Amino acid sequence: MRTRAWARTASALALALLATACSGGGGDDRPVDHGTEFEAGTLRVLASSELADMGPILDEAAKATGITVRPTYAGTLDAVERIASGEADKAYDAVWLSSNDYLRLRPDTAKKITNETPVMTSPVALGVRPATVARLGWDPAKVTWSQLHRAVADGKLTYGMTDPKRSNSGFSALVSVASGLSGAQSALTEQDVTRATPRLKEFFTGQKLTSGSSGWLATAYARRTDVDALVNYESVLLSAPGKLTVIRPSDGVVTADYPLTLLTSARPEAKEAAGRLTTWLRTPDAQRRITETTLRRPVVAGVRPASALARDPRRELPFPGSRAVADGLLDAYDNTLRRPSRTVYVLDTSGSMGGERLERLKSALAELTGDFRDREEVTLMPFGSSVKQDEVRTHTVDPASPKVALDAIRADARKLSASGGTAIYSSLQEAYAFLGRAPDDTFTSVVLMTDGENTDGDPAAAFDTFYRSLPAEQQRTPVFPILFGDSDRGELDHLASLTGGKLFDATRGSLDGAFEEIRGYQ
Amino acid sequence: MGFREHAARVRRILGIVLAVLLLGGVAAVLVTGGDKDTGTATKTVRGVIGSEKAEFFADPQVVKALAAKGFTVGTETSGSWDMEERPLDGYDFVFPSSKGPADELRAKAQAASKDKALPAPLRPFYSPLVVVAHSAAAQILAGNGLATLGPRGTSGTLKMDAYLAAARADRTWQQLKGSAGHTELSGTLFITSTDPVASSSGALYLAAASYVADGGRVAGDKAAVTRTAPLLRKLVQVQGAQQSGSDAPFRDFVSGVGNPLVLVYESQVASQLLAGRPMGDLVVLYPDTTVNSDHTLVPLTENGRALGELLSTDPELRKLAVRHGFRPQGAASEFTAATDGHTAYLNQTLTGVRQAPVPTSKVLHEMALRARDQGDTA
Repeated sequence: MRTRAWARTASALALALLATACSGGGGDDRPVDHGTEFEAGTLRVLASSELADMGPILDEAAKATGITVRPTYAGTLDAVERIASGEADKAYDAVWLSSNDYLRLRPDTAKKITNETPVMTSPVALGVRPATVARLGWDPAKVTWSQLHRAVADGKLTYGMTDPKRSNSGFSALVSVASGLSGAQSALTEQDVTRATPRLKEFFTGQKLTSGSSGWLATAYARRTDVDALVNYESVLLSAPGKLTVIRPSDGVVTADYPLTLLTSARPEAKEAAGRLTTWLRTPDAQRRITETTLRRPVVAGVRPASALARDPRRELPFPGSRAVADGLLDAYDNTLRRPSRTVYVLDTSGSMGGERLERLKSALAELTGDFRDREEVTLMPFGSSVKQDEVRTHTVDPASPKVALDAIRADARKLSASGGTAIYSSLQEAYAFLGRAPDDTFTSVVLMTDGENTDGDPAAAFDTFYRSLPAEQQRTPVFPILFGDSDRGELDHLASLTGGKLFDATRGSLDGAFEEIRGYQ
Repeated sequence: MGFREHAARVRRILGIVLAVLLLGGVAAVLVTGGDKDTGTATKTVRGVIGSEKAEFFADPQVVKALAAKGFTVGTETSGSWDMEERPLDGYDFVFPSSKGPADELRAKAQAASKDKALPAPLRPFYSPLVVVAHSAAAQILAGNGLATLGPRGTSGTLKMDAYLAAARADRTWQQLKGSAGHTELSGTLFITSTDPVASSSGALYLAAASYVADGGRVAGDKAAVTRTAPLLRKLVQVQGAQQSGSDAPFRDFVSGVGNPLVLVYESQVASQLLAGRPMGDLVVLYPDTTVNSDHTLVPLTENGRALGELLSTDPELRKLAVRHGFRPQGAASEFTAATDGHTAYLNQTLTGVRQAPVPTSKVLHEMALRARDQGDTA
């Protein structure tokens, strides 16, 4: 069970890489991949996505040092995987992640990095709506993880958090809350995690939003009036549009220290350029600009943190020192602690999918089965001119024998055949009807894969009316459309924004990659 | 699938074309610009250094002083023990933070260069290991007999015996007198160090601790390592993930995050003082038994040797080394004179500080591996 988490993530990430290496912009919020050939005076940096807010500072850095940073944004784990596989060596000179703690758990990456230079810090905290803080009668400076747990268990607090397997803020939060609730006095052990499991389970019943990226999390949160809080970096929470009260739990936090790190493989000119850049970033003036602009904390003595940043100190919770503990925690989160997912895969198997497209779909689904979590309910809903009712199958991954469901899903996928027209919107309505009123203890979502435009059943407008007539709880089920073949970007984009989902592009990357990326949101 | 492979192929072809163009460009420069350089004879040397020396080499005045002597120095940082893992081709010197990794690196380089004898290592400067503490933490240590503080409360002595006894007993901050009201001081009392397998300061911390724990004996064999292994393991395991260089934990400390007790080089603190930076609530604790870290330059080429020589002997560069908080080898007067205004923080003469001898690098490495659970557990 324990090794499964990493094996799955590793293979899945390898696929995601292929998707992202080729995809660029469009409907998904991933910026164009800059990692290409080295160019004098520029530094190609694989960076955490929240570093986009460093833009103005890096412009100043370019003026002062002549070094232009060309960032490519990626999730922490994705980046770690690219470094370990050697993929990063080919396209980048440096990596700039929120933290290298994750990276250090992989001994195979030690030789690949050099010059780790922390530039600024930001703790992972909770941003809570001020009305909620008032309702709970909390003094934000004194709230502990136990109080947060109590509030959730009593049904008084809900929150959104990124997927710990994909994002450092989610993983840091998981480490913090596991430390807080287990009463661990030093670095977490497997026994601590086991001891805290019942309370952690209760704590994660309050997680109403999950996300593969912190950017989408903030957008999704803004749509939802029933979610009280957001887990993210202090700097991100303080910069969020709606005012949030930042709670750094008084019994401890995990802090990101943003080390600008060279790849050992970078050429000497790039290393020299990075040296000049980090020297500049560590000057008191640059540090002042960083804290004022991005609300992160300076790492140079004598530079005062921006006034919005609370000064009372916090205990720093140790990050797990071994991969076994980290993997165990991630595995526990996926298979035991978090609310399970219920997902309907609405799959276009119309006539136009025949041949190579259908084969790609089948192999992508087969790959995907390696990534389903224990307790997860998966429904394959193939459609042509209408939903192919006799092919609709639902399987739930039983923790006692996960293989049974996974084999069954693979077998169902193999049997798919192409025929008929394309009834996108009628089929989606059936998916919503199937999921019904979402019970409170699951994350529900719909994945729509289609290779063409709607030809049968209800038109788009009818779906809009249908969706708006759904009860509020059902409207919280997002649709994640995948752009594939000849499908219409505009229509799918509309579906994503109507339902609070997100569009994934498989026309420039791979279908496997798109399916895998969506996992972070399910 | 097809598309993906095609795109990759196109990129690969583009890469080759660009590489050829770049090579052509370099060749053109060599051919056309070659004669311009003959007059100045600037030596460009490249080296791998410990992270605590990065700011020294990046200092514009150091760059200028080196240029005046005909040197352009390019550096990149690495944990001292990690240096061994790296290919050393193309570098002129390695500059780890202590003798142990330097010896290993020299042996490795010597083996690679076969018949040609390599020049001797040079030790231009050293720096003792100290513990930085936030003032509240230092006061509580003093109140519980784990440290003594000077009159200003900004420097003092860490009593290693008492500290190790506390570590052995898994003492928490909450159990110490005077910690009530300091919610940030909770959990097991420990000093943050770097990863002893990767980095010199972390390994030297274990050397000092084992020396104290074994009654003032230097570990010389496996039996000695085994005697102190449970304690050293405790000192390391409690920390969870460890950094591989001493710069990062110090920066976390300065940023007000991280553990309240961090093992650093005295030079890291002294350079801040000498730069006139406000020190906030920082307190410097000199362990009563510590290790002086001999920053050791291992030359890999003749130019590397010349650089080491220059750092050791050039008065201007020695002065600049002091400004970055290092103590030059030889006369102590350069350091004491420069830091005269900062005796509230610095123990200039290391009064009351005993030097623990360091075990051989083989023994030290074994200690580190066992402490991190990476060695054999026999």
